[in-house]
Amino acid sequence: MARATGESPRSSRRSEATAGYLFIAVPMALFLVLNIGSIFYALYISVWKWNIRSGPVSFLGLDNYSAALADPVFQTAVRNSVYYALVWVPVTMVLGLSLALIVNQKLRGQTFFRAAYYFPAIASSAAITMLWIFIMAPDGLFNDVRAALGLNPLFELFGISPHQNWIGDQATAMNTVVVLNAWTTSGTFMLFYLASLQSISGTVYEAAAIDGASWWQAFWRITMPLLRPGHFFVATVAVIGALQLFDQAIIGGGVNGDPNNALMTMVLYLYNAAFRQFDFSYAAAIGIILFVLIMSATLIQRRLFGAAPSW
Amino acid sequence: MPAVQAPVPGTTPISTSRVARPGQSRWRRRIAYVLLIGYAILMFVPFGWSVVTSFKTLPDSVQMTFIPHPFTLQAWQYAWTQMQPPLPVLFMNSTLLAIVITGANVVLGSIAGYSFARLRFPGRELLFLVVLATLMIPDQLRLVPVYLLMNGAGLTRGLGQYVAVVIVLAVSGTSIFLMRQFFLSMPKELEEAARIDGAGFFTTFTKVMLPLAGPAVAAVTILSFQGTWNGFFWPVVFLSRPEHYTLPIGLYFFRTAGGFSNDWPPLMAVVVMATIPIAILYLFFQRYFVEGIAASGVKA
Repeated sequence: MARATGESPRSSRRSEATAGYLFIAVPMALFLVLNIGSIFYALYISVWKWNIRSGPVSFLGLDNYSAALADPVFQTAVRNSVYYALVWVPVTMVLGLSLALIVNQKLRGQTFFRAAYYFPAIASSAAITMLWIFIMAPDGLFNDVRAALGLNPLFELFGISPHQNWIGDQATAMNTVVVLNAWTTSGTFMLFYLASLQSISGTVYEAAAIDGASWWQAFWRITMPLLRPGHFFVATVAVIGALQLFDQAIIGGGVNGDPNNALMTMVLYLYNAAFRQFDFSYAAAIGIILFVLIMSATLIQRRLFGAAPSW
Repeated sequence: MPAVQAPVPGTTPISTSRVARPGQSRWRRRIAYVLLIGYAILMFVPFGWSVVTSFKTLPDSVQMTFIPHPFTLQAWQYAWTQMQPPLPVLFMNSTLLAIVITGANVVLGSIAGYSFARLRFPGRELLFLVVLATLMIPDQLRLVPVYLLMNGAGLTRGLGQYVAVVIVLAVSGTSIFLMRQFFLSMPKELEEAARIDGAGFFTTFTKVMLPLAGPAVAAVTILSFQGTWNGFFWPVVFLSRPEHYTLPIGLYFFRTAGGFSNDWPPLMAVVVMATIPIAILYLFFQRYFVEGIAASGVKA
């Protein structure tokens, strides 16, 4: 690295380093304590019986971990979170990619559509969940609209009554949250995909057109393979977010993820362990389990998409 | 790929970046527009519904009518004065918290971003990796340790609860990252001129570099304001007294414990109040929202 000449190199280099450290001192201190330090602290807490005032009481080893894995409510929470990730992630990715492909064409009002689709993502999860609960209530807008459109026979095929309580019924609660979050996040994924699409050179498509490829062929043979890093990024972000589902669960179903634990997620379970049972070491262990799950999911996806991330 | 770009005799030049043929393309275009407009309407209907409902009476709120009948300000009045905590308190709490945390992110993020982009010091790359690593650590993993640390520091009681939320959110890796990327793209000559004139590093930063970083500062301001205004996890962890609640926490409380669970019109008034400030920001600064998201999507 070439240095600017004409200064006395050593002292100026030292003062530059001092300034450099000073400028990052506050954020780094916060990160080292509240992020990096936290991981080790959480690991430490998780193997003790912990009192909020006096700290460690007695050594538990891995008891918290085995207790969690044996608790049927935790198993439900894991199942719900994984189900949510397995359904919500592909649905929202397909939506986001479709929107990106359409918006990426030369269309009038392109900017407007892009802005419109991202709009639900700007609002708070609490406001949107509340709004959704209202719309999906037994006498809410959604049930009214499907009745007005004469769609009720179709819904009855799936055993759904005209006054279905979408978020209050165990059978439909989680899927209602899936639809809610697909709606709020499809625009975000569209923006991610647009960034990837725009990095694909147009000449590839011209070559394909010259070879007589149809749009469909070009999509499967060119766009999809070249989007691999994009898929990896979106899928990773999506799965990490999905396994952390909390706001919609606690607002929709309260602290127990009602009805009947249908909305109990891993993070909600963790929250309850800490702030309802005040068992902080148990909650710390849940946090570690969650972290391990998220990391494994990320590694699996990296193998699946076989691409080194571009970041 | 020069071979690909060589002109091929007998083919028509293709103007769009997509493979398209004339007859097919007109139909595809029509279908595309129908889908685009339909989906765009779906984006706005729920919000429109919340605005309409906030001007309705309770019995009217469960009717599928798009004009309130009778039109009433009752729900707003009720939310404004009767709900506990009332709407103005929630609004003030949200505003104050968002302003303080946004300010902290701009100040700390820009100065640290500048340092990582332009100053040379041992361990810089490693420390920057630490910054990026913080983006990978889920908040739930650090919930217990952070809560216990704050509790030990006496910040889980009284107004200290706000301080705890501010400390946790004071600077995000994203803020530093966005600022660093911007400063990396600026020409070096400016700073060198200032340095030759004898300005110190801090003066160079505040007088020369920061004034030129307007777009990046705007992006960080908007992203952190939006994030804090909408924030749910840390406020719900730390803010335990109703008079400290922000709008999102107020909504959660009204729904689960506050006894308003089916009183839709005032609840929708709170929803509208929680959404409008961000919607207005989005209307005017849409570019920064979208670019900020796209930037976090491509990363470096």
